[in-house]
Amino acid sequence: MSARLMKKALMRAGLAFAVLLLLFWSLGPIYWSLVTSLTPPNDLVSSELRLWPDTLTWEHYAKLFGATSISQGNEVQSVWPQFSRAFLNSIVTALAATLVTVAIAAFGAYAFVRFRFPGRDTLFFVVVATMAIPAYTVMIPLYRLMIAMKLIDTYTGVIFIYVSAFLPLALWLMRSVYQAIPISLEEAAYLDGAGRTHTLIKIVLPLSTPGLIAAALLTFLNAWGQFMVPLVFSPTLATKPLTVLIPEFVTRNYVDYGLMNAAGIIAIVPPILLVIFLNRFLVSGLMAGSGK
Amino acid sequence: MFALFNRLRPHGKGRTGLLGLAYVTPVIVIMGALVIIPLIATAWDSFYSVNPMKAGKPFVGLGNYTSLLADPNVRQSWSNTFLYVIFTVSMETIFGLAAALLLNRVKFGRSFLLAALILPWCLPPVVNAVVWGWIFNPSYGVLNNGLIALGVLEDNKVWFNDRVTALFMISVVHAWRMMPLTAIILLAALQSIPRDLYEAARLDGAGPIKMFRKVTLPLIGSGLAIALSQSTVFAFNLFDEAWILNGSGYDTRTVMIQVFMSAFQNLKFSYGMALSILAMLASIVVSAVYVLRVYRETRFE
Repeated sequence: MSARLMKKALMRAGLAFAVLLLLFWSLGPIYWSLVTSLTPPNDLVSSELRLWPDTLTWEHYAKLFGATSISQGNEVQSVWPQFSRAFLNSIVTALAATLVTVAIAAFGAYAFVRFRFPGRDTLFFVVVATMAIPAYTVMIPLYRLMIAMKLIDTYTGVIFIYVSAFLPLALWLMRSVYQAIPISLEEAAYLDGAGRTHTLIKIVLPLSTPGLIAAALLTFLNAWGQFMVPLVFSPTLATKPLTVLIPEFVTRNYVDYGLMNAAGIIAIVPPILLVIFLNRFLVSGLMAGSGK
Repeated sequence: MFALFNRLRPHGKGRTGLLGLAYVTPVIVIMGALVIIPLIATAWDSFYSVNPMKAGKPFVGLGNYTSLLADPNVRQSWSNTFLYVIFTVSMETIFGLAAALLLNRVKFGRSFLLAALILPWCLPPVVNAVVWGWIFNPSYGVLNNGLIALGVLEDNKVWFNDRVTALFMISVVHAWRMMPLTAIILLAALQSIPRDLYEAARLDGAGPIKMFRKVTLPLIGSGLAIALSQSTVFAFNLFDEAWILNGSGYDTRTVMIQVFMSAFQNLKFSYGMALSILAMLASIVVSAVYVLRVYRETRFE
C-alpha cells in the first residue's frame, strides 16, 4: 500500500518537474529579455550571473519613447521617430492584411463548401498547395511586378503580398469550419426565401465566429512577424515594420542590446495580449488548420 | 455517380455556379497575380539570363542550373540547410511529442500551460533571434555566465566559432519557435484516441511503455506525419533566425539566404530564380505527405 502511494507521489513530482521545465523553456527567454531591457548598460557588460538587476532602469525605454536621452553621459537623439513610425507600419500592414484575408476567405471558403462551379476542387487544391512554395520562389518576379506598378514601399503592395501568402491557410481553416455546420440550417433559410448571400451573412457567419477569430489571429500573428517580405519590399520608413527596424539598432562598433531587448519587448506586447485573451481560438484554429 | 448527377441537375436557385465564381473571384485574382503567375515567371526566367543592370535577356537553357551545381557557396548552403532540417525536425518532434504527452495528462492549470507553450510560436522570429542572440553572447550572454556559474564550462565559449555548433544553436532558436506547432498537432491527435482503448490494454496487462507503442503511436501516426512534414517545410524555409544571428556567414547561410543574396544583393536575378526553383522542388518532395493528404481530402467527398 505504501509502495503504491510512494509511486503515485513520485509520478506527481515527475509531472510537476516536467511542467516547470516546459515553463522555463517557453518563458525563460522572454523573462530574460524583459530583465535585460530593465538593466543599466554598465551591468549588461558584466560576466556575473544576475537573474534580476541590482538596480532597475527605464533608460532603454526612454531611448525608444523620449525626445532625447542620455547615453553614456552624452545627450543623444532618441529613436522615437523611427520606432513610432515602424510600430505604426506594423500595425497598419498586419491589421489591413488580416481584414482583407479574412473577408476574402469567409466568402471564398463558403463557395468551396456549398456551391458547385466548374473547376472548384482543382482551384481549391491549387490554392492550398501554394502553401508548400517557399516565399523566395515568387519574390523575384513579384519584385519586378511591384516596381512596374510603383507599389514598392507602399502599404498596398505589402498588404496584398501578405494576403496572397496567408490566404491559403485562412481558406483551409474556414472551409473546415463551414463543413462542420449542418446544412439543414441553411436549407431552412432558403425555403423561407432568403438569398444565398443573405443566408451566409445573417446565419452562417455568426455561427462561424470562433473560426473567423482563429483565422484572423493566425493571419495577424503571421503578418506581424514577417521579415523576409518587408526586407525586400519596405526599404524605407514609409512602410518599414518593427521586425526590419529592430535588427538595425546594431551600429558599426556597438550593439545596443538593452535597446534591442526593450524594442523587442514592445514588439511582442500585441502577440502576448492576443495569446492571453484569445488563446482558445488560436489553439482550436491550429488544430483545425493542421488537417484534423 | 451522385456527384455527376448533382452537377447535371439544375439547382433550386440555378445560379449558385455564377455566385460561387463571384465569391472566389478575389481568391483567383490575388493568388493568380501574386503567386501563380510569378511562379510561372520564375520557372520560365530561370532558363534565361536576367540582369536588371543589362538590357535584354539571352536564353541560357540549363546554364543557371549547371553553374549552381558548380558553385561552392550554393553547395555549402544546401549542406547547411540539410543539417538544419535534421537538427530542427528531430528536436521539434521529440520535445513536441513530450510536451503533447505532458499536456494530455495535466489537468490543473491546463489552459495557462497551453498559452505558455504556444507563446514562442506567436512572437516575431526576428525578435526571438535578437533575444537568443543576446543569450548566446560570447562575453556577456546568460548562457555562458550560467554554465560557468554551474561549473559546466570553465571559460566563455564563442558559440558561433565552430560550424556545427553554430548550426545547432540556430536550430535551437528555430525549434524554440516551431516546437509548439508540432506539440499542438500531436495534442489534437492524442485527444482523439478513445479512452477505452487504454482500459482494454490495461486489462490485457500492458505496461505504460507497451501501451505507448501499441496504442498511442499507431493512432497518432497521421498527426505525426503532418507535424513532420510541416516542420520539414519550415526548416527548408529557414531564413530569419540564421540571418539575424549570423548574417550572410558562410557556415550558417541557408538556401533561402543564398537566394536572397544572389537576387537582391548581387542582382543575379535568374540565378536566384533557378536556385529558388530547386529549393521549392526539394521542399515539395519532402512535404508530399502533407499535400497528398490535402488532395485526398478534397477528392473523396
